[in-house]
Amino acid sequence: MKDSLFTVARSLVFVVFALVLCALVFQFAGYNALTMLWAVADGAFLRSGAIEQSLRWALPLFITAVGVGISFRAGFFNIGAQGQFYVGAICAAFAAEAFKGGPAFLVIPALILSGMLGGALWALWPGLLRLRSGTDEVITTLMGNFMAGLLLVYVTSGPLKDPSGSGQQASSRPLDAAYRISDSLGLSPTIIAIAAAVGILMWLLVNRTAFGVLASLAGRNGTMVEWQGARLWKLGLSSFLISGALAGLAGTIEFMGPNGRIASGFLPAHGFTAILIALVANLSVLGTAAAAVFFGGLASAALYLPIMAGLPAAAIDIINAAIALFITARSKFVDRVLRLGGRPQ
Amino acid sequence: MNEIIIAILRSGTPLIYVTLAGVIAQRAGVWNLGLEGLMIIGACATIVGIMLTNSIVAALLIAILMCVAASVLLWFVIDRLKANPIIAGLGLTGLGVGGTALAVQSIFGSQASVTAPFGLPKLGPAFGAYGVLSISVAAMPFVVFGMWVLLRRTRFGLRLAACGEHPFAARSVGANPSRMRLVALAIGGVLCAIGGAELAAGSLQFFAQGMTAGRGFMAFAAVIFGASHPVGATFAALFFAVVGALGIRAQLMFGDKIPHDLLQALPYLATVFGVWLSGKLRGGAKAASSFAELKDQ
Repeated sequence: MKDSLFTVARSLVFVVFALVLCALVFQFAGYNALTMLWAVADGAFLRSGAIEQSLRWALPLFITAVGVGISFRAGFFNIGAQGQFYVGAICAAFAAEAFKGGPAFLVIPALILSGMLGGALWALWPGLLRLRSGTDEVITTLMGNFMAGLLLVYVTSGPLKDPSGSGQQASSRPLDAAYRISDSLGLSPTIIAIAAAVGILMWLLVNRTAFGVLASLAGRNGTMVEWQGARLWKLGLSSFLISGALAGLAGTIEFMGPNGRIASGFLPAHGFTAILIALVANLSVLGTAAAAVFFGGLASAALYLPIMAGLPAAAIDIINAAIALFITARSKFVDRVLRLGGRPQ
Repeated sequence: MNEIIIAILRSGTPLIYVTLAGVIAQRAGVWNLGLEGLMIIGACATIVGIMLTNSIVAALLIAILMCVAASVLLWFVIDRLKANPIIAGLGLTGLGVGGTALAVQSIFGSQASVTAPFGLPKLGPAFGAYGVLSISVAAMPFVVFGMWVLLRRTRFGLRLAACGEHPFAARSVGANPSRMRLVALAIGGVLCAIGGAELAAGSLQFFAQGMTAGRGFMAFAAVIFGASHPVGATFAALFFAVVGALGIRAQLMFGDKIPHDLLQALPYLATVFGVWLSGKLRGGAKAASSFAELKDQ
């Protein structure tokens, strides 16, 4: 317990570092840094209704981030959450076309399943390449993100194009209202229930099953796990598939919930933010929930800043990026200060 | 024919400069995913520099200064704070893309783009049809050759490679891997600044938000595809430019019959194939890093 508190404290120290760097960037770019940071905090958590808005962004991010955490734990640097998120949404959108007119209680689960399947599929090929031929997953998943982005552009301006859509951004035909799982505000009992179920199941998987223990060990020392008789490639592929399926699920929720359609290039920072959340939480499921609320708040502040405070939304991207720069850092100096000269590492 | 070659050189040159920056970082053992951010900082600083100082030399110096400073920040985070290079690099990219958007908005007040009165000097009519190209295009082959000499034929280059592949062994012969990485990233910063300048001020004369549009990542892919050899990576980058130019060409010739967006995915697909193939040929690629491993340190 003390150790996990220590890692949280260390994460927070570097988040503060990141915020200082942001303040410098804001100041350098000609804004008053304090006004900017205050407006961000106001937009994220302080103004009335901000918490609900933050949760709307936090829930899909939480689902993707838990998945990212699973594959990082197993030692696979799957940075393809964005692509898996897109392909999940695309598959759900195609399924919605196919199952049009069916009863809602059948169609909704079918759409969710096809979204998860799509996400898993987009994680399957980097997983196979990694485990079968040793192809580095950082590159394949990164390239997968770009390909999925282009696929989304193609699908929304081709097969699924909404002919009545505006010229600015190609988008798919809107989902039938009967199959939507939330209104455009995006916070409904269904979505909360899905996120809670994902959280509980994944917590159990990580902390209470042989798979979770073995996968974490495999991330630290694959050879040892292999010698103990576990199948490394099975563990690895499952963690790829789980993380893909969860990212796909998040994409499906965005499609069936708040957005009601898919548009080319929608939520381009989702996967990156989810990776950050997983890292800030040090890959623990509970920590992911807390970090997701924080980053969800930032995401909702990005919408609030330009409209209410007249400040550019790019500020939020900068805060996220600065946190990314520092979040995996470890510094002996910071460790020593946090432990107050306590026991050596 | 001339038109196609000019188009390829125009889109390929910025990519090649940034690819060389990736190569030198890669040889020093740093997976530089911050290339995209460095490139956009270079592009933005060049245009803003031209607007502010009215001099292309001063603008280039500003761009180089900014890119080197950003590279040193990346080095500090990776080397001194032991951050994960991949996440830190992605962070630097985010800082570059977001920071330039913010800077343009605060300096010029408009969201869209900034147009400069002039760009890099052109080759001029003496070169016939190729006179429209900028001098940095003409300098590119020499820079590639220079990088090859530096990395493969000098003491520095060989020590750099040793530091990247086996820092411990390099230290035992008196090289300082940490300082080598700093030098490599700083040289990379200069190259990214030139690449960004060529992108924004070579044939165009403006900067737009997010104008690099993934070119930095494509350069990183070229580094991997070209097995981090300066000449190999240059040809990989050139190949991406050719595919891009042919994609536009095919679009013009066949109209909507070939989905343009899917053609654009070809370079990425080629990269995946190239990485897979090089892994096969060399018996499994070396994994970049594993987060769990880092956690244990």
